[in-house]
Order: sequence, then structure tokens, then C-alpha cells
Amino acid sequence: MKKIFILFLIPQFIFAELVLEITKGSDDPFVIALLSFDGKKALTDEVDAIINNDLKRTGEFKIIKDEKLLSSPSNEEDINFNEFRLLGINYIVMGVLESEDKFNLSASYEIYNVVSKKKIRTSKVFGIPNKIKQLSHYISDGIYEEITGIKGVASTKILYITEIAEEKKSLYELIVADADGANEQVLLKSYEPIISPAWSPDSKQVAYVSFETGIAKVYIQDIATGKRRVAIENTKQISSPSWSPNGNFLSMTMYQDGNAEIYILNLKNNNLTRLTNHYAIDTESSWSSDGSRIMFTSGRSGSPQLYEIKLRKYNSNPERITFEGNYNAKGSYLKNGDGIIFVHRADNDFKIALKYFNENFIRPLTESKLDESPSISPNGNVIIYAVTENGESLLSGLTLSGAKFRLPAKKGEVREPAWSGFLR
Amino acid sequence: MPSINNNKAQNFLFCFSFMMILSSCSSMNVTEERVYEGGIKTVEASVAEVSELDYETKAIFANATVFFEFDSYNLTSKSIQTLKSVVSVMNQNENIKITLAGHADERGTREYNLALGQRRAESVKDYFILNGINSSKVSVKSYGEERPVASGNDEISYSKNRRVEIN
Repeated sequence: MKKIFILFLIPQFIFAELVLEITKGSDDPFVIALLSFDGKKALTDEVDAIINNDLKRTGEFKIIKDEKLLSSPSNEEDINFNEFRLLGINYIVMGVLESEDKFNLSASYEIYNVVSKKKIRTSKVFGIPNKIKQLSHYISDGIYEEITGIKGVASTKILYITEIAEEKKSLYELIVADADGANEQVLLKSYEPIISPAWSPDSKQVAYVSFETGIAKVYIQDIATGKRRVAIENTKQISSPSWSPNGNFLSMTMYQDGNAEIYILNLKNNNLTRLTNHYAIDTESSWSSDGSRIMFTSGRSGSPQLYEIKLRKYNSNPERITFEGNYNAKGSYLKNGDGIIFVHRADNDFKIALKYFNENFIRPLTESKLDESPSISPNGNVIIYAVTENGESLLSGLTLSGAKFRLPAKKGEVREPAWSGFLR
Repeated sequence: MPSINNNKAQNFLFCFSFMMILSSCSSMNVTEERVYEGGIKTVEASVAEVSELDYETKAIFANATVFFEFDSYNLTSKSIQTLKSVVSVMNQNENIKITLAGHADERGTREYNLALGQRRAESVKDYFILNGINSSKVSVKSYGEERPVASGNDEISYSKNRRVEIN
């Protein structure tokens, strides 16, 4: 009995980092034959597995691997396109992993269109052996953009906060990881809470709120050097940082007169401009991708609702944009500006919801009881958010094409994911 | 009937010619790139030492916590009872300075809850000022939902977490 138990456990343990739970995908996926890469098996197995997971996670592909194919060609001449067509396959991907020298390796891959019987892409990615994961993500993104016409996000990163309970206090960590949750690295450790992580538009800096001095303060930290500073010196608490798309401004919530109001800090000259002025709570500011609008949560109607201010209009007044329900908060604009993603309370549950500006109703996207902190991928196709279930919190994702996935569980609580810009 | 057939034929012709144009225009994509290797540095925040209150003050405020309804910062009559006794202690001892720390339950968004905790602490501060306490003796801060005292996911735990602690 014992032996059987171990056998069942080991495979799960090995793949704990990589396995993704895809609950639902697109109804009309691209069907691709993903042939195993040629090269050293120890490395190609990992490359194959990562590309497979990256593409699966988008929800837009149906992947056919070697064992289900009638043949496994390793070059163009060997491809019998009709054979692939019979299996309903649209594209064929094949590649090879080679060492360039002692410290460098490269992956060359080709994509074929089965219908036109033509090679549509030939690409080469250079990398190093201990960054084989990143190399694989680059290949996934090349495949994704070639077939869908949209830039891929497998090579992007996410920030999040973890809280690990220790004997008397909690350890808080600000973590950066690959978009699939692997390759975690700690940016900041603290025994006081860290909240509200945000990327600079060039993804080289992060802003966040740390309680290390006893009250909430916004810090800006350089990822590569670890150099950090408070965004602006002030005796009152400051929170909720959000970078303008051009990187020149940081909107924040300041508590100068006791109440939460939104200010815009010019990062070049440290000038502050007050954006809101109301006795109710105003917080959670976020910018539209063109930098012309700021959305925020305000309690001015008696319950938290989303409002927006047009920045390029003289004396612009906040306009309310959510009306359904008594709790709509932490909004972010879709990348194309067509709508917003936010946290919506339905009965007693908090869900992630979507509202298109040309529709007068909202679309709940999640089913759990306590979902929060939605963040949108830089290509606009995927939303990552935090789920709390049975007192545990972890990260989940959904794509606008209908796929849902869950990032591997970590120790402690995981929350407040924030998606980087494109890094490739 | 003939007109429909005609349409189909036209559609087919159109699609066919469109595909021909596409395939004749399409050229193969050739790319070459290198994996970006950004470094990362870990930083440890040095947490400020919180100055401990003297024993006497601690004893006076040991149970001075007031509670709130969901998404509300209004004082309840029970809260006012608690605050009344704090005011009388402060009036008897001119040297006491207090910190009001506002908190929220885990429901709703973190930043809104941080602001809500602040509003709760400000409500308590307003009460003290109305009752003759000098505002310089009262400082205010919020922990939002970050420091729960009860960890359950039920209304009883939530109601314990929606609070202002007086220290």
C-alpha cells in the first residue's frame, strides 16, 4: 500500500510547478501539431512542456502532440500536409535546441500552415541554459503572435504579495515571477504589511505601499538594483500608487486632511496636483492606456462606485460609470479602452466583473465568494486575480476567450497580482 | 432560387480570389532574438521599533476598541459608551496621548478598506475633539484589512475586525 501511495505522489510533486488547471477553453480553437523539439532530451522535454502549457493557458489552442500524429517529420521535406489536414490540424510547429558554445544555446523553430502547405515563420531565439524557461516562453510568444496576430504574454512577469504566518508575526514578501507563476524572486521582505504593487510602464521599477514605518507609505523600487525611495516625503499616510502610461506621473491616494483624496505626482519635478475634492473616500486610481482618463473608486454616492475624470478637459468633473449593485471598486481600463474590469459585489459575494462602455449592464466573470485585485495582461486578453477560498488565497486567471486557469498553490497567502508590460 | 445560387457562386469566387491575393502577398516571417536577462535584487525592509506605552496607559486602554457596521464609519451607541470613558480618563490625565488605528474586515478591496479604516479612526477622533480633547493629543492611522484580530470568514469574525483600536 505504501509503495502505491508514493508512486501516486511523486509525479504530482514533480509537476506541481507546471500543471495548470484549464477549466474551459475557446469553442473554436486553433489546432496545432506541436512536434517535440530535437536536441538533448533533458532540455527539450522541459521546452516542450512549457510551450504546451503556455499555449494551453491562452485557451485559444488545441494542441496535438507526436503520439497522436500519423508521422513526426523533422524537416520540411518530410511533411505530408494532407496527413495533418485529415486530423483537422491548422498549423505545424517544429524546432531544434542546439548549444552555441559552452554558455549559450539557441532554439530554432518553424511554423507551417497546413492549408496553404507553406512555411509561414522561421525563428531563432538565443539564450542560456539556466534560463531555459524564459527561452521557452519566447518561443510560445512567437508561435502565439504568428498564429493569432496578437502579441503573446508568456514571456511577461507578474508581481504579487505573499503573507506567511510565523510564530508571532507574519512575513510579507513582494514577489516577481514569470507569467505562469514559476521562477519566483523576492523583491522585498518585511514584517509589516506590503500592499498595492504596481509596475512602471517600462517594467523596470515597481511602486507599492509598505507599512514598515508604522503607517502606509508609497515606495518606488528599482528591480535590478534594489534601490528604493519613498515616492514623496509626507507625515500622513499615502497609498494606492498607479503609474501614468508615459511613466512621468504617479497617481496616489493621500490623506492630507484625514480623508482619502487622489493626487497626481509629477515624477520629474515632484509637483503635486490634487485630482479629487470630496468628503467621501476617493481612492484606487488607474489610468486609461492613452493617459487621457483616470478611473477611481469613490464613496460619494453612499456606497463604493467607479468614477472617471477626463484629464484633457478643462475643469472636468468626475462622472459615475457603475450603477449596478452597492459595491463596485478597483477598476482598470481594458487596453483598447472599450470597457473596464473591476470588483463587483453580487449578493454577498465579491466577483471580478466586466463592463463595456457601449452596454448598460455588467458581466460577472468569476464565481467564487471573495475574488479581488484583477489585473489585465499587456495584450489585453487575460485577467489575473486573487481568489480566497476556505481562508486560503491564491491566484487565478481567465481569458476573454473563455478559458480559466489557476496558478500553482504557494505556501501562505498569495494576493494582489499585477501584470507587467511586454518584456520581449 | 437561381438568385441564391448566383450569390453562392459569387461568394465562392470572391473568397477564392481573396485567398489567392492573400497567399500571393504572404511572405514568411523571419525573426531572431535573444532572451532578456534582467537582474533582480532582494531588499529587506527594516521595520521601525514601535515605542511601547508605559504600563499605566496600557492598562487604561486595554479594552478600548470600538466596532462598526459593514462599509460604515458611524459610531454606534455602544461605541459612544466606550469613548465616553476614554474621554474621562484623558481629562483626568493631561499627559495621555493616544493613537487611533482603524481597521476593516476582509471583504471589499484593500485600498478602499484602508481608506475606510482611516475614516473610522477619524470618526473617533472627531468625537474626542467635540468632547474637548485637544487634537494634538490624538493621532490617527489605518491598517485597512491587513491586521485582522479574528481570522474566520463569517460575520462574527468580520464584525470583530471592523474596529478602531485606541492606544
